[in-house]
Amino acid sequence: MALTTAPGRTGRTGSARPHANRRRVGRDRHAEGLAGYVFLSPWLIGLMGVTAIPMLLSLWLSFTNYDILTPLSEVQWVGLANYERMFTADPSYWHAVRVTLTFALVAVPLKLAAALGVALLLNKAWRGVGLFRALFYLPSLLGGSVALAIVWVNMFNRDGAFNSFLALFGIEGLPWVSDPDWALQTLMVLAIWQFGAPMVIFLAGLKQVPTELYEAASVDGASRWSQFWHVTLPMLSPVIFFNLVLETINGFQGFTAAFVLSNGTGGPVDSTLMYTLKLYISGFTDLEMGYASAMAWVFLIAIGLITAIFFSTGRFWVHYSDGEK
Amino acid sequence: MHPATSPTAGTPAEPHHRTLAPRRRFLRGLVAAAVAVPLMFGAAACGDDDAGADGQVKLSVFWWGGEARAKLTEDALALYTKKHPNVTFEKTWQANQGYFDKLATLTAGGNPPDLFQIDDNYLSEYAGRSTVLDLKSYQDSGKLDVSKFPKSLLEYGVVDGKLAGVASGENTQGLVYNKTLLTSNGLAEPTTGQSWEEHIAWAEQVARKTKIPGTQDPSADYKAFWVWLRQQGKDLYNGKDLGFTAEDVTKWFELWKGARDRGATPTPDVIHEGNASDVTKQLVVTGKAATSWVWVNQMPDLKKNTKDELGVVAYPGDPSAQWARASMYWSVFKSSKHRDTAVDVINFLANDPEAAALLGTDRGLPSNMDLRAKVSESVTDPAMKQSIQVESELAQKFGQSPQVPIKGHSKVKSELIKAAENVQYKRASPAQAAEQFITACKSAIA
Repeated sequence: MALTTAPGRTGRTGSARPHANRRRVGRDRHAEGLAGYVFLSPWLIGLMGVTAIPMLLSLWLSFTNYDILTPLSEVQWVGLANYERMFTADPSYWHAVRVTLTFALVAVPLKLAAALGVALLLNKAWRGVGLFRALFYLPSLLGGSVALAIVWVNMFNRDGAFNSFLALFGIEGLPWVSDPDWALQTLMVLAIWQFGAPMVIFLAGLKQVPTELYEAASVDGASRWSQFWHVTLPMLSPVIFFNLVLETINGFQGFTAAFVLSNGTGGPVDSTLMYTLKLYISGFTDLEMGYASAMAWVFLIAIGLITAIFFSTGRFWVHYSDGEK
Repeated sequence: MHPATSPTAGTPAEPHHRTLAPRRRFLRGLVAAAVAVPLMFGAAACGDDDAGADGQVKLSVFWWGGEARAKLTEDALALYTKKHPNVTFEKTWQANQGYFDKLATLTAGGNPPDLFQIDDNYLSEYAGRSTVLDLKSYQDSGKLDVSKFPKSLLEYGVVDGKLAGVASGENTQGLVYNKTLLTSNGLAEPTTGQSWEEHIAWAEQVARKTKIPGTQDPSADYKAFWVWLRQQGKDLYNGKDLGFTAEDVTKWFELWKGARDRGATPTPDVIHEGNASDVTKQLVVTGKAATSWVWVNQMPDLKKNTKDELGVVAYPGDPSAQWARASMYWSVFKSSKHRDTAVDVINFLANDPEAAALLGTDRGLPSNMDLRAKVSESVTDPAMKQSIQVESELAQKFGQSPQVPIKGHSKVKSELIKAAENVQYKRASPAQAAEQFITACKSAIA
């Protein structure tokens, strides 16, 4: 490729000739930047075609009565009607918001706690630790899969494996997935069980904590607990932050399991009507794609706001330190 | 890569213009890309739209169903190709779940199939948005022969005066019961024409004797609700409006609340399982109730999932509230380039004796009455035989077809499930749930 040599060469030219005028250098840099974009172009085209343009289109659609079947050229502009309906006239929308918030507020912290706890256990050097790491990581590899959700539903049915297990101890189980009081909790347990991905990240973070710190702490007579509290947690806080942001976003977007469990309805009695499921039903079952687009945009903004809050509070508790600074 | 890009992209670097070259090249590249990209997409988007000069037509056909249906349909279409060698088919089929998502997406993407299967949940949605072809003119010109169809079955494909779909089969509501369970316990079998009260009393008796609830509580089931409404002189829809009031819904919910209180039905979570449309989950085959509320033509499928003998009768009450329902339709997309051929294929599938023999009763009883008689004679499967017999008997009593469900119907169905389950799980009284249901329906069909 002819282009591949160009940026490198201009870069070298700049540094080899310190007396070249500033304008020239600026131009070189500019050219370099442009070349960079050329290299990025396959990705940029993908971003534009697959993400950005459809997103902007959906922004426009959110102000229309688009119903999928009507050609785009015939859709009508309805202003803020979709947003108005969402906030004032659709009780099931607010129900979906509640379900999703409950799910995220419970499942995300518990999942992170489980991930950190197991990571601490698996951070020791003992025989077979690799096997256990793999075993704990496995469920999250199967994460969003439909197959896993189907297995889960069958396991927690009234006559599923879980209740048979309970029966061994003489406990009569509940119909976990078809009882509106328990269906969402069943989904939460499924989400928490898939703590493998954050666990691996925690493990990597734990490996980065310098052992001198623990040595110094123990010389000072710190207990294991205060070592964890004053050394591990602060040193791990960037990783915790990272996992928290990622898992929160994931938690809000949970769809597959709820879809499979409820046959795409959000039932029983809307107990598993996650935001994304409500959005899907509006768009594809009820053919109200304009309304669904409006929901998607509110969702995007809400997740953006939550992430921004995390970032703005981060400086109070996230400890970035590599010892030198 | 498109040839248009190669001359520019391949230009060797000019060493004398080191600083300018990348930029110029970048701009050239950009221009090349701007030219090439639409060309590529354009090339991909262009299909062979019209029949070629040689008269070859490739018709896309889309339906939902299982492998058995796929085999039958492919055989019937192959027969058409044999008789019309210039017509070949691009066949796509998939399971029911997700079918309508796909159909809607194909439509939105401007790439709809020429000929597709649809049901009464969505016929109005599609017809109302002028996405399906009005087949009236073909009917008038005789290119589409529906003269052997029962009148009410044909009318059940008419939306706003347009013939939007041609019934590919007929079915009607059927109450399927576990015959083995009843006879081994010396219990009477249900009969057509029993009142709802009698049915519930019978179910209570079954529950007492066998410890298996006698009937699945169908309060969440729109097709049972619909029959019951018609027996009260009401209907599900009346023009663009609902055909019932909150009082009707309350009465319906109270009827079944009474049945639950008497122990005639299973617990709410079991009812919820049975509310899934999946045949394998119907309570009559999972053994969790003695009867299930289904369509008559599902009997043979149900039979495949249980060792017990099954029987089928009409829903309780006056059977004239039931009607010849199109189990599904064939429709043609309005924008199809091959609409004449598509209509001819529908005509063939409905009226050709060989095609009818191949298709059998997989999509319901054949719509063409002459062929229905022939196909019925040749059926060997006892479960199928029984469902045909019951449906033929009921056909004598069928009342007039209701109007095709209106836009928003699928939402009304899911809202009924929600409202009924709210009552079953004791989260709302029948009156409260009915009130909420009516409100939700009104916004769904608005």
